[in-house]
Amino acid sequence: MNESHRQLDDDALLEAVARLWRQLDPPPPDLAHGVLARLAADDLELELLTLVESSDAFAGVRSSDTLEDSDELTSTFLEYVGPDLRVYVHLSQFDDGTRLDGWVVPARRLTVTLRDQQGSTLQQTSVDQHGRFAFARAASGVVRLTFTDEPPTTARPRATPPFHV
Amino acid sequence: MTRQSTESDSIWELSATHFQRWRDGDQRAMDDLVVLLSPVLWQVVRGCGLDREAAEDVVQTTWLALVRSAEGITEARAVSGWLCTTARREAWRVAKQGSRQAPTDEDVLDRHLPDEPAPEHQVVLDDENARLWDCLKQLPERCQRLLRIVAAAPRPDYTAIASDLGMPVGSIGPTRGRCLEKLRVELVRTGGLA
Repeated sequence: MNESHRQLDDDALLEAVARLWRQLDPPPPDLAHGVLARLAADDLELELLTLVESSDAFAGVRSSDTLEDSDELTSTFLEYVGPDLRVYVHLSQFDDGTRLDGWVVPARRLTVTLRDQQGSTLQQTSVDQHGRFAFARAASGVVRLTFTDEPPTTARPRATPPFHV
Repeated sequence: MTRQSTESDSIWELSATHFQRWRDGDQRAMDDLVVLLSPVLWQVVRGCGLDREAAEDVVQTTWLALVRSAEGITEARAVSGWLCTTARREAWRVAKQGSRQAPTDEDVLDRHLPDEPAPEHQVVLDDENARLWDCLKQLPERCQRLLRIVAAAPRPDYTAIASDLGMPVGSIGPTRGRCLEKLRVELVRTGGLA
């Protein structure tokens, strides 16, 4: 019996075992519905970060002189705290979009997701070893940031309240 | 015994398609994925020895983990393997809490299989399954559970996915081989395998 035939035998046997168990111990009929309900309620399970600091600042006087050097129009600074981390967000608005720079303290491996109000993922990035993350062109509108552990855990993701880009 | 992997092969293919659609912004695609793969996760989690209530909870937790960390899956085809692995680990974690045992090597599948009696079966099995079940019951409890878990999960990408995700497969391969061999011997002995 060569290797590929042997492999086929294993697969066929395992498929038979799978089929047996599907008949022997079928899941409850509403298993998937339970999952969907849990997913729908997921937003309620977010660990909400609290906005503790917010400032809008004009990056420069709107004279043609300064705008020649930089087309940055305004910037906004936001600071959030949660039970185990602090997040700083800096929004720099340019003519052609908004850049979002963020810092997480203490620095830790996190996935950062920019979501719309419906919770759909717009953009995603990771926190680097120094706690920094950035979206060079952040999606505009009312958004929120969520932070999940990397590698994934079942801990609740932390989320900022919605803010405007 | 005929090869019947066409059906399950297409499940993994379909999973990848749904997952990709979801990542492309189609929210309903997640519903399709949940309906498609929840029964698979059920088998994996139950195979880890959880009761039905705990199993249902772990299946839900697994999907939450997927939604929260979907970006970690670079290849859409890996989604089914990722779900099975996550479900298995979560099930072991829950089972460990329940039994207050503290196994040392999380990746050695056979050491983790709880020594619990098989569930009571009131189901009427068709002929082929009845014959297979009679043979399977002759195997050590751990072999039964291991084969149940491995059979439910996608193949043959199992090892590849584990390696892609940096999750050691541990002794799953060799143990799986030994258990399959025992089952094959049993089937031949009872005339169930031509």
